[in-house]
Amino acid sequence: MRTSSFGSKLSVSTVCKHAVLIALGFLAIFPLYWMIVTSLKSDGEIFNSSLLPHHWTLDHYKMAWDSIPMARMLGNSIGVSLLQTVCQVVTSILAAYAFTRWDFRGSSLIYGLIGLTWLVPFQVIMIPNYVVISDFGWRDTLTGLIVPNVVSAFAVMQLYNAFKSFPKALIEAARLDGASDWSILWRTVFPNLKASIASIGILLFITSWNDYFWPLLVTTKMEHSTIQKGLQMFMSSEMNLWGPLMAATTIASLPVLILYLLLQRQIIDSFVKGGLR
Amino acid sequence: MNYDSAAASGTLSQPKAKPRAKKERKPLPVRLAKLKPYLYLLPVLLSIAYWIYRPLIQTFRLSFYEWNLLPTSPEKYVGMRNFENIATLPEMGTALLNTLYYTIGVVPFSLIIPIAIAIMTDSIGKRSKNVYRALIFLPMIMAPVAVSSVWRWIMHPTNGILNQALQSWFGLSEPIRFFTDERWAIWSITFITGWKLIGFSTLIFSAAMTGINREYYEAAKIDRATRWQTIRHITLPLLSPTILFMAMLSTLFASEWSFSYVNVLTQGGPLNSTTNIYYLLWKYGFQTFSVGWSSAAAVLIFIGFGIIALGFMKLTRKLSFFDD
Repeated sequence: MRTSSFGSKLSVSTVCKHAVLIALGFLAIFPLYWMIVTSLKSDGEIFNSSLLPHHWTLDHYKMAWDSIPMARMLGNSIGVSLLQTVCQVVTSILAAYAFTRWDFRGSSLIYGLIGLTWLVPFQVIMIPNYVVISDFGWRDTLTGLIVPNVVSAFAVMQLYNAFKSFPKALIEAARLDGASDWSILWRTVFPNLKASIASIGILLFITSWNDYFWPLLVTTKMEHSTIQKGLQMFMSSEMNLWGPLMAATTIASLPVLILYLLLQRQIIDSFVKGGLR
Repeated sequence: MNYDSAAASGTLSQPKAKPRAKKERKPLPVRLAKLKPYLYLLPVLLSIAYWIYRPLIQTFRLSFYEWNLLPTSPEKYVGMRNFENIATLPEMGTALLNTLYYTIGVVPFSLIIPIAIAIMTDSIGKRSKNVYRALIFLPMIMAPVAVSSVWRWIMHPTNGILNQALQSWFGLSEPIRFFTDERWAIWSITFITGWKLIGFSTLIFSAAMTGINREYYEAAKIDRATRWQTIRHITLPLLSPTILFMAMLSTLFASEWSFSYVNVLTQGGPLNSTTNIYYLLWKYGFQTFSVGWSSAAAVLIFIGFGIIALGFMKLTRKLSFFDD
């Protein structure tokens, strides 16, 4: 490690490093900043490129809120994302527990089948799934949005890694105390792994909140859709109302942005860890 | 994997240890207990079987049929004709070429720039590192539709701030129509795809850098290696598993990631210049309702996907001795 930076804090290389990172940070942040600033500018100012509004106004938010069923779509998005996340977390806890608790015939085959699902792009299987959803009469319903996504192979594999590191001795001790397998899972393993389960849960929530493709297929009306699809429909109908569009975009991003503000450390870690697997 | 070998040896040694007569006399609860792992796995198994493997098989089947997605109309068996048709469509050639452009165009954002930045900024103070991390990672958690909406505004030909800035800096004679000029559209989409990815890849490589044993660098320093030699012979080889992983990820998924932007911003246009293979699937499936063509193309994608993934895995295994 080059510890010399302590001595000459403003060495050329240090300045360069910061310059590069600031440039990258600016590139990442600016679109977001511009979205929020535009949404707060008054109509007259939108087209000039001043970096701050002279007259702050929430008019665009009001307009966006009134012109599309925003509350309804936000509600749908929250409902779908929460339910989907809970289902994915529970199913993958059960699976990860089975894989780490017992040696059983076919375990590596089953694990392989779960792992291989990431090789199946969504577009390859969309038509048969769409047909099934239509046959069930689940188009334009929240059921149709949630049910095909109750399992996440990614979550199973992530949780498997977390469960694998759980000390076998603790499970053995609980077993000798006469605890059943079910209660070992929820009373011994689960409380100890809460942190990693929660961070995977947040990641799943963000993924499902941002999902656009499946709602695009399954829903046709704004009232039955999630906020992402609604935003896209708003975009294609109101081509040049940039203020309200940026307001709607800000609203659609807000829950995830708030989560990120509160928990960015955990979110980044779980994404990066997930990527490294 | 450690786990696999344990499972395999478990099933191998079991029959030897227990004579058959004893097995038959096992009480019912014990035999039921053997089912337990499968019960815990049941929700996951049922779901992936029904929502991933079943449709996969059906897509293969549909690729031999002609059908227009209407439940009332019959499916007609046409053999290999769908494959022959899509192979001769000029649209298909364009889409494949565009897919290649996307894949190559994303490489600077997923590999080259992130590796350079990760190496360059390796030894930066912890506190400022956390601030930068939080900033550059942000695009990754944004929804693709929201991202499209914002960039459409920024890159608007007359009112967008980007064109205004370019015009005042370089005095362009006319604004760049980023999404409606067929020379620019595909690169605009590629840029947006890359913009979302670049912070994430940088953090992945930074994380991999912190895992490198510092003693190698000390040794290199004693040997008076230059900075470039150190990077070339120590850093890059040790990063190679991560590099391969990210290369695989971006090769396989670059076009898929760009789908949302294509659908929201250009709808494949102008003149099909942004249509990639995934968008073509979508178009055949849900705009022209030629399910057979869409499925045939899907089968080809799936096979291509598998071959690429297999190739990368082989390569990873070959190079994995570095990972120690």
